[in-house]
Amino acid sequence: MNRALHAEWTKLRTVAGTGPLLLLAVVLTVAMGAALAATLTCPWGRCAQDSVKLTFSGLPVSQACVALLAVLAVGGEYGTGMIGTTLTAIPRRGRVLAAKAAVVAGLTAVAGTVAVLASALAGRLILPGRGYPALSLADGPTLRAAAGSVLYLALVALLGVGIAMAVRDPAASIAAVLGLLYLFPLLAHMVSDPGWHRVLWSLAPMNAGLAVQTTVNVASLPIPPWAGLGVLAAWSAAALLAGGLLLRARDAS
Amino acid sequence: MEATIEVTGLRKRFGRTVALDGMTFRVPPGRVTGFVGPNGAGKSTTMRVILGLDAPDEGRALVGGVPYRSLEEPLTRVGALLDAGALQPSRTGRDHLLWLAHSQGLGAARVDEVIGLVGLGGTARRRAGGYSLGMRQRLGIAAALLGDPPVLMLDEPFNGLDPDGIVWIRGLLRSLAAEGRAVLVSSHLMSELEGTAGQLVVAGRGRVVADMGVAELIEAASHDRVTIRTTARSRAMETLAGAGATVAVTGGDTVTASGPPAERVVELLTGGGVPFSEVTAHRATLEEAYMELTRDAVEFRADGAGR
Amino acid sequence: MSPAAGFARTLRAEWTKFRTVRGWVLGTVVAALLVPLLAAVSAAGSHASCDRNGVETACPEPPLGPDGRAVHDKFFFVHRTLDGDGSITVRLTSMSGIITYPPPDHDEIVPGLVPWAKAGVIVKASMEPGSSYAAVMATGEHGVRMQHDYTGDVAGRPGGAPRWLRLTRAGETLTGYESADGRQWAEVAAVRLPDLPAEVEIGMFAASPGDLTVKQADLGGLIEQMRFTETTAVFDQVKVEGAAPGAWRHTDVSPTPGTNPGEVHHPGSAVESGGTFTVVGSGDIAPVGTDGGMAVELTLTGILFALVVVVVVAVLFVTAEYRRGLVRVTLAASPRRGRVLAAKALVIGGVVFAAGLAASAVAMPVGKHLLRGNGNHVLPVPALTEVRVIAGVAALLAVSAVLALALGTLFRRSAAAVVTALALILLPHVLATASVLPVELSLWLLRITPAAAFAVQQSIPEYPQVVDFYVPQGGYYPLPPWAGLGVLCCYAALALALAVVRLNRRDA
Repeated sequence: MNRALHAEWTKLRTVAGTGPLLLLAVVLTVAMGAALAATLTCPWGRCAQDSVKLTFSGLPVSQACVALLAVLAVGGEYGTGMIGTTLTAIPRRGRVLAAKAAVVAGLTAVAGTVAVLASALAGRLILPGRGYPALSLADGPTLRAAAGSVLYLALVALLGVGIAMAVRDPAASIAAVLGLLYLFPLLAHMVSDPGWHRVLWSLAPMNAGLAVQTTVNVASLPIPPWAGLGVLAAWSAAALLAGGLLLRARDAS
Repeated sequence: MEATIEVTGLRKRFGRTVALDGMTFRVPPGRVTGFVGPNGAGKSTTMRVILGLDAPDEGRALVGGVPYRSLEEPLTRVGALLDAGALQPSRTGRDHLLWLAHSQGLGAARVDEVIGLVGLGGTARRRAGGYSLGMRQRLGIAAALLGDPPVLMLDEPFNGLDPDGIVWIRGLLRSLAAEGRAVLVSSHLMSELEGTAGQLVVAGRGRVVADMGVAELIEAASHDRVTIRTTARSRAMETLAGAGATVAVTGGDTVTASGPPAERVVELLTGGGVPFSEVTAHRATLEEAYMELTRDAVEFRADGAGR
Repeated sequence: MSPAAGFARTLRAEWTKFRTVRGWVLGTVVAALLVPLLAAVSAAGSHASCDRNGVETACPEPPLGPDGRAVHDKFFFVHRTLDGDGSITVRLTSMSGIITYPPPDHDEIVPGLVPWAKAGVIVKASMEPGSSYAAVMATGEHGVRMQHDYTGDVAGRPGGAPRWLRLTRAGETLTGYESADGRQWAEVAAVRLPDLPAEVEIGMFAASPGDLTVKQADLGGLIEQMRFTETTAVFDQVKVEGAAPGAWRHTDVSPTPGTNPGEVHHPGSAVESGGTFTVVGSGDIAPVGTDGGMAVELTLTGILFALVVVVVVAVLFVTAEYRRGLVRVTLAASPRRGRVLAAKALVIGGVVFAAGLAASAVAMPVGKHLLRGNGNHVLPVPALTEVRVIAGVAALLAVSAVLALALGTLFRRSAAAVVTALALILLPHVLATASVLPVELSLWLLRITPAAAFAVQQSIPEYPQVVDFYVPQGGYYPLPPWAGLGVLCCYAALALALAVVRLNRRDA
């Protein structure tokens, strides 16, 4: 397993695109969060907006970079036929998938930590100027939002690896991942019945997963913060399971 | 570990197409085994099944007595070149070898060793996307040699190589076999293997048509046809026919006898006192032998009469 | 061979290429099926009913105006019947009003006029809500206006009461005048009302639309609050010319039913004393916006999902050529590279347009039918508008496909091209309509990115004379429909041009 990890790590760091994509993810997270924090207002004299969630609101955009990184880590091999070489070197299918998932998610978590810490620093500097308290990681809900954001990105990476393993074509895979993240929430908006709306909202991986960032009015969320992240984790696990089963069942290529 | 490949009764269909139809053969150590057959005979599929990439519907393939998928450090047991183009274009050739090395617990030193062995040199530090077909073949062979495996399996290694490259690879294959390794080399052109392969597995329509030494194969294809130039044509025919040979007139002063080998023909003629000026034993070329064997197995005929 | 014949051959070749790859044809079919399927799902999950005295009943639907669109037609009317031509002249001496806080804290009532509080003179075809009309009025903050048939609005001079107002009818033509002193008259506008019968209702009116406030909700939604408002207008010097016999009658047009049967919620009133009329009214005479029901384009939300599939197919249509070097064969067969790309664009654009047209032409009527069956009010729009929405959405998908194709040619890498295409077309729309961004930023995104093209599906226009929260989330786009589609076309054209340059420059 260590050798498989070592090989996947070498692969990921020597392919063009990994560095730029992670850098873009970090820059987008910090820039979006800072820009939105800088436009924060106190409507009707009450500074009641969720300033923490807003500070970390670059994630809905930067997750696209993470998804692309994950899809390319798998789809890039299927697109070129190199998956054959990989499976020749590491014939155990489960090991290949586990190593790939671990390396991609691990690297994403590192970049995500950098991005979240930088966003938190930006929030610390910007928020007092907008009438909100400086963001502090010593605060329980804020720490949960920050740690949850890092986990969120790592889970999106796992989702991407699993879907790409199942779908194989890189273009179709990335479309499937982005569609699941961005369009599933629309399904909730398309139905007006409150019961169905809440169910669909809570099932949408992006909505549910980002619930972990909420620090204001937590009780009004259709799903509690950690349970929301659990929904995303379930999606990622299902995708990895499907990818693993298909990898085992199908011929390579 | 024993250096062998054993394939037993492999069957596989892709939809309505039968790719493998009872493929069975054994690759012994110490010699180069040519795996030949027309396009679509099932050579590549067989190799993919041996490497555990494709699952057969029936039958099994063992490398050194065990299934490939159960190997812990597979590249130190079997080196394979399947599709030399299967590279991610943005990675350098050296980095490609490096991740493969890491997957087997090998280091960068071994990578630079095989790069030198295949003569890739400084090219290895350029992006693989810019490689010529020949450079990709060399990189693929380097990957196969990486783990110094006792078994080697190369699919169409001559593709895209220039004449120098072909000479180089023939020498390499012979020396690898001489070290006691089992070497399986596929090709759809018999001429590429002439002088290299000691054993031939001829495939056609998903099964083995012939599995024998090169000398035997040529022998078999020659059918012991002997051409005799003689001034006493009818006496020669009588004598030979009397000894059980099938005799035919092929010219004004030539007859052809099938059946007994050339030595026996000379013996018979001399014993019967028949004068002759020349006895020619007909020997088929490897190419001819191959064509004869695969005549029925060719699926796609150039004249389109395969309907 | 002529260039035209050459292009026709390339076109035919590309069409054959497209239709012989099962995945691409299947993808297009799936994309097309997604639209009506999601329309049905959305309709199935949307029920509407209203509570009347503890009983669930169908919700009352707003009346329809002369052009078939839903309208508000609620005001207090002091009127007489006028036969034939004639006119009414009044002096509006004062206009005042109140604004209340909405429940549950509606204990506070403050004096004030909302910007579009209206009072003045009106000629109306009948007492039927939604009937044709023309009116001259003073407003809370928008000066004197002449309005007709709910959507027509012409500005007069600024300023409010006191003000003299006059409206004359001559056949189909209604002319409005205003004056500061009753001697020097200025024409505000003259409009034609072709459906006006000989007998019309003529008189004074007062109306006051609800006061709208919008608050950002927690789940990226919006909380819109309407405060009840009321206008009190005082008229004197009332003079009617023409055949309008009898006394003044008082009518509360479209009163809001109260909680108990027969009761009216906040009824209007009028008092006449010595030639002075004090008219109190609430409501509005104006078109209904998207808050008054569901816009027809809501049945086509599925195009967002279809768009993803279409983008993938379009990108693969070109990148598949680079995967295994097929592009060398293609370019050997037709060496003019621009021509190849044009043929590809035409094939993918045509196929997607046809599929999108079929999909939305089915989805819209089916979705509307199902929504109405579940008690939802679908805002009616003129048939031509529906056709524009259906064809526009198909064009949006087709041009997006061409843009994706061009990006595929530029990048040669399918995943990068798909991500770029979706980030350009879909992401701005999703971000702008999910109200995660400040409204101004959302509006700019929908002006300058290819997502501007979604404006083509907007069936309910923005009315300057109606205060509403005109934001993308409510279905309002900052650009007119075809201009929005034009932005996407510009992007597609630019990307195609760059792709041709790249194709010509680089080795295959």
